[in-house]
Amino acid sequence: MRLLVVEDEHDIQSFLQQALFEAGYAVDLARDGKTAEGLAKGNAYDILIVDLGLPDQDGINLITRLRQIGVHAPVLILSARRSVDDRVRGLEQGGDDYLTKPFALAELLARLRNLLKRNAPQGSELTRLRVQDLELDLLRREATRSGQPLQLTPQEFVLLEYLCRNAGRVVTRSMILDKVWGMRIQPDTNVVDVHIYRLRGKVDGNGQWPLIRTLRGVGYVLQDR
Amino acid sequence: MSSRTGKPALRSAAWRISLWATLAFTCGTIVVFIFLDRFVASDIQRRSDAWLSGEVGVLGDVAERTPNDALYNRVVGEVAELASREVPNRTVSREASNDSVFFIQTGSDGALKLWVGDGDGQAHLQAIQAHTFDVSRPLSIRVRGYAIPFRVATDTVNDGGRVYLGLSERDQRRVVFNLRMRFFALWLSLVLLGFAIVFFTSRRTLSHVRNIAEAASHIGESDLKMRVPTTRGNDEIAQLALTLNRMLDRIENSVHQLHTITDSLAHDLRSPLTAIRGKLETSLAVREADQAEPIVSAIEELDRLTDFLNKSLDVAEAKADALRLHRSTIDLNELLHAMIDLYEPSMNDRGIDIRLHSDGPIHIVGDEGLIHRMVANLFDNELKHLPPGCTVSVSLEQADDVVRLILRDNGTGFDPDVRAQLFTKPVKGRHSSGHGLGLAFVDAVVRAHAGAITAENNEDGGAKVVLSIPLAPRQSARAQTAHAG
Repeated sequence: MRLLVVEDEHDIQSFLQQALFEAGYAVDLARDGKTAEGLAKGNAYDILIVDLGLPDQDGINLITRLRQIGVHAPVLILSARRSVDDRVRGLEQGGDDYLTKPFALAELLARLRNLLKRNAPQGSELTRLRVQDLELDLLRREATRSGQPLQLTPQEFVLLEYLCRNAGRVVTRSMILDKVWGMRIQPDTNVVDVHIYRLRGKVDGNGQWPLIRTLRGVGYVLQDR
Repeated sequence: MSSRTGKPALRSAAWRISLWATLAFTCGTIVVFIFLDRFVASDIQRRSDAWLSGEVGVLGDVAERTPNDALYNRVVGEVAELASREVPNRTVSREASNDSVFFIQTGSDGALKLWVGDGDGQAHLQAIQAHTFDVSRPLSIRVRGYAIPFRVATDTVNDGGRVYLGLSERDQRRVVFNLRMRFFALWLSLVLLGFAIVFFTSRRTLSHVRNIAEAASHIGESDLKMRVPTTRGNDEIAQLALTLNRMLDRIENSVHQLHTITDSLAHDLRSPLTAIRGKLETSLAVREADQAEPIVSAIEELDRLTDFLNKSLDVAEAKADALRLHRSTIDLNELLHAMIDLYEPSMNDRGIDIRLHSDGPIHIVGDEGLIHRMVANLFDNELKHLPPGCTVSVSLEQADDVVRLILRDNGTGFDPDVRAQLFTKPVKGRHSSGHGLGLAFVDAVVRAHAGAITAENNEDGGAKVVLSIPLAPRQSARAQTAHAG
């Protein structure tokens, strides 16, 4: 998987490069729109990560321009502007997703995965999810651990399904709020944590090997090994 | 709100203006017409008197010069008859005999010598003898048996007798009456025309004002690009529209300025925050668990700082009525159910009970993200400040064209020290751990949705926050028809 990161801030560039490399991506860097255009013309990238505030032009112009010259790879927009206007404008002009700075790396990686999945040919829809000895029947909305049925509320099932679909990967609290509850909020209380504790009590109770792990300062992960 | 409801024509100031204008106009024209009426009536009287005096003079001459024989009666009769036909404005009497003119000649003893006219003349003679006559001035005399008085002129004859010529005032009255009727019709149509003209011109002028007010009321709720309609010309209304639009230009300019400042401030703060957070996260991955603690808490601090930055910018923008809304139709009932599902476990963990009272779907048009954050702020507030064992009751009510979201608890209520400034600036209770922007942000979101918020303490101690937000237009219209029906 090859990515092009168009970002002029050196600090952000360097940590993105490192983090994306560690996540298994090959990363090319461009500091301005012109370089980016040249690189995108000459190489086939799987994803472009474009910052909106570039030194030589507006990131949105760059995206429009790239679409014009036939670059169809998905574009993830990074922006320090957080208004809805900018988000809408960016997505209208050919951006595929939008992330506001500062962001959690886990969220960036999750969004990249989503974009790649969106582009990949669609497989048949799963009806069962299995992570180690945890099994979810998506049609009957039932979950079992080591064959023992778990008594989950519908909301808890959706939460567990989301964790399972991202098994082995970190999900942040704001990702959970967005995907499970459909809310883009940042509560300054531990509302998500309480849901996770309750779910953990049901999934990892009975002295079983803990599946749901908390990564403090980052989020949660459902361990798949 | 109210400008959009009711019948505009009935509530227009044009009625008041045209009623007063018509009243003034009516009084003026009444004075003019009374004056005209007096003038015309006296002129008719004068002309008729002049005719009478002339004719009686002629008849007096005839009486003096014609020999007093059988032929004389006929001559005088003919003259009187002819004279009566020359009466100005005469109507032809339906009866064969002419009752509008009479002629009397008396001898020197005052006895009736000659009578031409209707009846035997005795009643007329009696009436005449009751008055003293001046030769030069005709008099009005009432004759028994006649409803309308006669105008009588007299002249002396050289034998010591007198001749009298009487003319019924009937025709004269009819003329004056006709004239008055025409005057009245003319006056009435003038008044009505005047009323109509004043009403329609003032209505037209005021409709410009109404359009401007209507347009202005829509501006600023989030859309500053709209302008009030301008009219051609250079009158006060056009000036008003131009001034308003210039004012809106200036406001839009300052708001734009504010956006630019907040955006660049946000940008300048966010880029380093991103870099720091990214570096911390990448270094977290390679540390052992015991070394991770300071990094983790640094990341958490950074996230709090980011949240504070976002909220401050939102509150600052909202205070300047510059919050950028992304509107859609939202079912508040559904939204609250979802939010309570999210918050209930945390509240229950802290021994707090939360209940929702709602009668079903209530739609508003608003920014879903902002409403989510607003409710989250309110619930976070309860979660942070309520002691265990308390109950939060959320109710959703629809009243006329607003929806009321009422949040009540039975905790300790608002601190009297901070209550007065809950919405005006960041406030923190004595034991609060937040940054105090919560309610200021809630206020900002409510105002951006053209709503209002009040916060007070219940009589039994707990806090009560009431948010009123206008319903979605369609639902509000339905509510109104339901009220009317």
